Amino acid sequence: MDLLHNLALGFSIALTPFNVLMAMVGVTMGTLIGALPGVGPASGVALLLPLTFGMSPTSGIIMLSALYAGSMYGGTITSVLINTPGESASVVTCLDGHQMALRGRAGPALGMAAIGSFLAGSVGVVLLMGMAPLLARWALSFGPPETFALMLLGLTTVTGLTGDHAVKGYISMVLGLMLSMIGIDIVSGDARYTAGLPDMLDGVDFLPVAIGLFGMGEVLVGAEQATRAEILHGRYGLRDVLPSAADWVRSRLAIVRGTIIGFLVGVLPGAGPTIASFLAYTVEKKLSRHPEEFGQGAIEGVAAPESANNAGSAGALVPMLTLGIPGSATTAVMMGGLMMWGLRPGPLLFEKNPDFVWGLIASLYLANVMLLVLNVAFIPVFVRALRVPYGILMPLIIVFCVTGAYSLNNRVWDVGQMLVFGVLGYAMKKLDYSPAALTLALVLGPLAERALRQSLIISDVGILILLQRPIAATLTALALAAVAVPVARAVWRVTVRRPAAA
Amino acid sequence: MRQADRIAAVLLLALAAGYGAVAIRDYAYWDANGPGSGFLPVWLAAALTGLGGLLLVSAVRARDPGPAPVPRGHGAVRLGAVLAATVALVALLPVLGMATGTALFLAVLLRGLERHSWPVTLGVAVGTATVNWAVFTWWLRVPFPTGVLGF
Repeated sequence: MDLLHNLALGFSIALTPFNVLMAMVGVTMGTLIGALPGVGPASGVALLLPLTFGMSPTSGIIMLSALYAGSMYGGTITSVLINTPGESASVVTCLDGHQMALRGRAGPALGMAAIGSFLAGSVGVVLLMGMAPLLARWALSFGPPETFALMLLGLTTVTGLTGDHAVKGYISMVLGLMLSMIGIDIVSGDARYTAGLPDMLDGVDFLPVAIGLFGMGEVLVGAEQATRAEILHGRYGLRDVLPSAADWVRSRLAIVRGTIIGFLVGVLPGAGPTIASFLAYTVEKKLSRHPEEFGQGAIEGVAAPESANNAGSAGALVPMLTLGIPGSATTAVMMGGLMMWGLRPGPLLFEKNPDFVWGLIASLYLANVMLLVLNVAFIPVFVRALRVPYGILMPLIIVFCVTGAYSLNNRVWDVGQMLVFGVLGYAMKKLDYSPAALTLALVLGPLAERALRQSLIISDVGILILLQRPIAATLTALALAAVAVPVARAVWRVTVRRPAAA
Repeated sequence: MRQADRIAAVLLLALAAGYGAVAIRDYAYWDANGPGSGFLPVWLAAALTGLGGLLLVSAVRARDPGPAPVPRGHGAVRLGAVLAATVALVALLPVLGMATGTALFLAVLLRGLERHSWPVTLGVAVGTATVNWAVFTWWLRVPFPTGVLGF
């Protein structure tokens, strides 16, 4: 009954005219951002965060989470029509989606992706609604050691799973933690690493860093090329995008499996929708009676990953809302937003801000319905948007980066910071470092430091307190394993394999 | 990439040394209450030293130079132009103001770099600067820098 009562509260908030409008803005912007190559969902959330300053946190999170869901839908359009993923969670959709388009079946590919996304996204929200309060209640019993161990696990898994180069991922994480130390230390009052600059006393603001690393950094990478993508022509009316009965028969179990895999993977800290989509595709290919058709235009190869990435984006909200541990780069940026609005993500959020949490959950149902309509009936509009040359888009994104960073504190200083982190983001992308790990560490750094120091203050056995309590010990062991495995592999590559090959 | 990794590793090791030295010199590692403000910075410097060392060793031992991360030719010119225009916009923001600055920035890149026609250039530059100004100053009440022209 509690659940229904809370959901009714959520809908009473989500269905106010302003919040419906914000959800509409979010899904439209998200679909566009997902569709445009070179702008990912994390950049989209970072760029739109300044627009939420003038509204309540609930309206703000409704817009941003609608944007996140929309970007999962939008990424498919680019994957299918120009064989270039709009965002990383749609990379695997290129394999079969574009092949279908080459055979004149772009419509059914986009239609099946939209319908699968809707079903998976909606089921994902139901699972989020069921799982999140239970997890939040369990996490209420956490003391400082469990909190620190959990943050350590979040940091190490996110870092270990981003990029191909684990050592560079951990370097990015340590750099993020180092940046988070800048400013006044709340325990001792010491001003750390401020170089005597008054502007640095408040520390490194999260928003200029996120806009710089994701928005500006991605634009600079794209600025090197002056290419224009070839968009496949086709018919995208309502009748053209609805899948046939045969398509349904082939895809129905792929959607079910993609939904389950997507949500479960999304819930894991660090995994997120991208890994969910790859895993769902691989499982579907393994279980298929005709695996040879995968990569040649099999519709299950579109349905499974697209269902998985939408269920995964709902799942990624679970650890962020209940534990304060973002599951992906986008949720890390969203969590930074929550903290800027004065909210503390974690188990207490459900108790202290039920209108915020349940308004968000209800709005996700609404967003999925809006996205189904948008992505089935309005595909031609988004196809037209894809024809806007990147040469026009690129300077526009830079203008949004500049104004977004300025609007945080109305200071040119923040714009300068954004630019510095934009150049750093460019370098990190070119050299295979992980901007996501740096951002996550910057967000979690102060919280992790406080939990660690509190743990050590109450401990009689020093750092071993992390191994004395069962939950903390389990989480610490998992975190250490997440670090040890890739680093041991890197050490082995350096010390054993190379001399043996010589 | 191999050369870039070597340079990055040396820079990271230097950063770790400086960061650790400041932590040891200026902040307490441990005080009467427990871990001080220098506690975590010291460990972070140590972690970066280890990771930077690992990166350096792997870059020194690598045989394949890998792809060059720095663009050359036309790509370098485009990147340099975009970066220079952005730095100029940020530096001149207090003088030009947000609306004039962004309109000029867009005009320079759209016409000078992307070779769009004047109608497209002016339409996008003036239109974007106006909408941007309206959204932030009227709706979000952000006081944009106004510059010498007053907007």
